[in-house]
Amino acid sequence: MDVSRPGKGRLRIAVTGASGDYGRLLLSRLDQDPDVESILVLDVTRPEGDKVEFHRVDLTRYDAESELTDALTERLVDALYHLAFLFGPIRNGSLAHELEVIGTMNVLTAAGRSRLPRLVVPSMTAVYGARGNNPALLREDSALQGCPHSRFVTDKVEVEGQVRAFRERHPDMRVLVLRFAPVLGPSVDNPATRFLKNPVVPTLMGFDPLWQGLHEDDAARALHLALRADASGEFNIVGHGVMPISGLIQQAGARPLPLPGPLFRAGLHTLDAVGAGTLPVALLDYIHYSWVADGERAESVLGFIPLHHVRDAAAALKRS
Amino acid sequence: MAKGVLGNDPFKRGAASRPTEASTPGGEEKAAAAETVTKKQPGNGGMAAAKAGGKAASAKPRKHEARKTPAKAKGGKAAGGRKGAPAQRAKATAHAQPPHATRDAAHGPGDAALPLREPAASTLDTPAPGPVNDAGALTAKQRDVDHALAEALAADVAEATATAAVDAALGARPGPDAELERLMAAELATELAEAAVEEALEQGSPAQPQEQEQELAAAVAAQVADSAARAAMDEGRAPPAPPEAPAVTRWEQETSVRVVVTQEADTSAVEPEVELPDATRDEFPPGRRGPLSLVPPPAASAGESARESFAPEFGRGEPEGVRPLAERAVAALSLARDIAGQALASESLARAMLAMGGLKDMVRASLGTGGGANLDAYGKDPSLVERLEPVLEFLYSQYWRVSVQGVDHVPPGAAILVANHSGALPYDGLVMSMALTRERPDLREPRWLVEDQVFHAPMVGTLFNRLGAVRACPENALRLLDEHRPLVVFPEGYQALSKPFGERYRLKRFGRGGFVKLALRTGAPIVPVAIVGAEETSPLLGRIPASFLGLPFVPLTPLGPLPLPAKWSIRFGEPIGVEDLAPEAADDLGEVQRLTERTREAIQSMLQSLLRERRSVFAG
Repeated sequence: MDVSRPGKGRLRIAVTGASGDYGRLLLSRLDQDPDVESILVLDVTRPEGDKVEFHRVDLTRYDAESELTDALTERLVDALYHLAFLFGPIRNGSLAHELEVIGTMNVLTAAGRSRLPRLVVPSMTAVYGARGNNPALLREDSALQGCPHSRFVTDKVEVEGQVRAFRERHPDMRVLVLRFAPVLGPSVDNPATRFLKNPVVPTLMGFDPLWQGLHEDDAARALHLALRADASGEFNIVGHGVMPISGLIQQAGARPLPLPGPLFRAGLHTLDAVGAGTLPVALLDYIHYSWVADGERAESVLGFIPLHHVRDAAAALKRS
Repeated sequence: MAKGVLGNDPFKRGAASRPTEASTPGGEEKAAAAETVTKKQPGNGGMAAAKAGGKAASAKPRKHEARKTPAKAKGGKAAGGRKGAPAQRAKATAHAQPPHATRDAAHGPGDAALPLREPAASTLDTPAPGPVNDAGALTAKQRDVDHALAEALAADVAEATATAAVDAALGARPGPDAELERLMAAELATELAEAAVEEALEQGSPAQPQEQEQELAAAVAAQVADSAARAAMDEGRAPPAPPEAPAVTRWEQETSVRVVVTQEADTSAVEPEVELPDATRDEFPPGRRGPLSLVPPPAASAGESARESFAPEFGRGEPEGVRPLAERAVAALSLARDIAGQALASESLARAMLAMGGLKDMVRASLGTGGGANLDAYGKDPSLVERLEPVLEFLYSQYWRVSVQGVDHVPPGAAILVANHSGALPYDGLVMSMALTRERPDLREPRWLVEDQVFHAPMVGTLFNRLGAVRACPENALRLLDEHRPLVVFPEGYQALSKPFGERYRLKRFGRGGFVKLALRTGAPIVPVAIVGAEETSPLLGRIPASFLGLPFVPLTPLGPLPLPAKWSIRFGEPIGVEDLAPEAADDLGEVQRLTERTREAIQSMLQSLLRERRSVFAG
């Protein structure tokens, strides 16, 4: 089942959610990888690329699972990247739930039926949750406490649970979950970049939690590495170093504005209730407590060594 | 400015006012127009002018004077050759002068001083009329050439003016203020240069169209006459300062300075009027063209250079200056710089400044705006610690006078230093880490664990985290011990910080023996440490409930967050080895309890002996 075994020929890869941020980052790399023969894109829109074979699948439809199974059994692929995830909370929570949780369920079922050798699923370090009782560095085996206020994070935690159960049911498959630190870079758009791109960024007065950041190039590299890694399980994909949120804001070219906690909280909840919420309420947790993940396992097992320091990632945000 | 408006157009409005003021020179011979002007000047300017004329003659060797002289001669000839218009022009210029002379006492001489700078302006003119006189007509090409020449001259003049001004300013003011002076001089020079260039342009372009309008020859003659008149005027006015009595000289200098100021005002305020044709030509030339005369000063007389050097000084000190605020600010700045420079010379004040900077950074860090890009994974900011070093050093060696005993007991590599927690504010971890860093530089950088209540307190927790505190939890402790660091723990935890002052130095329960389990699992020895002095540094007088801040309470201490200067003593005891015990003993509650109690007793006995040895809380 090892996709990297010699003599097998070139790799055929399937990708869901190829038009998302991760999909774009990965596809440009796969396009340049000479070992990749074809990229089967299972998505609602066709992305650019010479190797792309497009098969339209809408993961939120009830028949997505059979569509996926047909597509995957028809052309035997060596790896499936399930990248069809949102990059931030959307107002339509039920649609997000359909896409992320139910969509993943469909993908996992199809992957199990078609006996895929390798499945790669992105996640994020935010699933650990920003809590006061977090250790300085969170390892992969730390509990996923998530964020109760955020459906977005809760969905991600649920997806992780599904994938873990799937991995335990299919020990012969390589199932890799990449928990990305906030991906920062000129071409990505997620709550962290939106948060940092404001000219003045509100923070909680008296708190300056440590953040990590991952340059988008490093994120793409990690995704690409997962194609050949002889490993399974969860990996924290984080950039070099940590920074306090104020330092990150300054690096990104903005100014931190410390607000007293109760005032900030009330203001954010009000804005959210009114519907003008520009910042997710869940972000409050993440600018209150540190949530620093330990990238040691990705380095030793996956061979992923980040090229960028978090301050470079934040500075890249400024240049964009 | 009314004057400027009045005398704007030498051909129109100037003529209107001519009869009244310039009737006498008008009646005189045209050929002697220049001389008339020269003489008229003395008449109006008073006794100074007569001497001044003589002085001018003696000062002629100067470059511009030399250049001017032929111009004057030519002007005289031209004026003689052409009638009517030249006469008018001569009269116009002649009339232009009296106003200056009839200004208030301070201003008249001021103008008289300024014309010193005029010659340069006339040098601008002279090249133009020169060829024209010969040709009798001014072709467009020639005009262009003349214009270009004038512009080039203007550039030269500007450059020379700038250098001269800087030279003068710098030459006159050597010493520590040189930098500021250079700044001042540069500013002045720039202004003067700007004025000069403006002048040249006005001189060049707006004048030419008028010549086209007017009869060519008349205009040429007028210009020649003008230049001649100005040259004469210059000669007449230029030298008054030196030959006069010292008192007058001083007065002269002062007034010249004042004119420098007003001239600045003119450049800024008159700007719109400059658009009027020749607006400055008759009325303001003395003031506006002043800078141009700075060209010659390189070789200039002592009087002039002295005046020049005085100008910036006076300009700065002049309270009624046009920009008193700016000038006062500059003066204040230089004064402050002097004071600061002298203060910085003393080392203690320098340290105090550094400490202030460090404290500022500390406040920013605790507010949550400190930033920082070189934090380690635990949140310590080495650069902040470095900047706070003066403060920490002061606290450690002068304020608390920390004395350390038995620090050699700390084994190299991983070690668990168990100490009593005390005082309402947890300075003890910081002091412990400082003591270890100072007394045992061979060890790796120590860290101390703090309980959640402190670690998550707003500001305090953030600040302590940046200084090296780590949240107390087994994962962090294991990781720190894996890095072979000395690890400071306070097993009493938060209850030790919240005990009343009456219970000082009485150890509380040692948690659940987490540090013993840690030692058993890692094999790191336990070093008991007793700290005396921390209780008196921030005695807990009361508790202010502060649940809204996320804190159980805010401690009420004598100086608020500031510590008292109690003397600290830290004693390190014999290490309690756990090598003979298997890691599995960590699950043996009895064994854990026994080791915990042993450590506690060791610390309590050291505390008792330290307290017995202590004679005074503050003196030690």
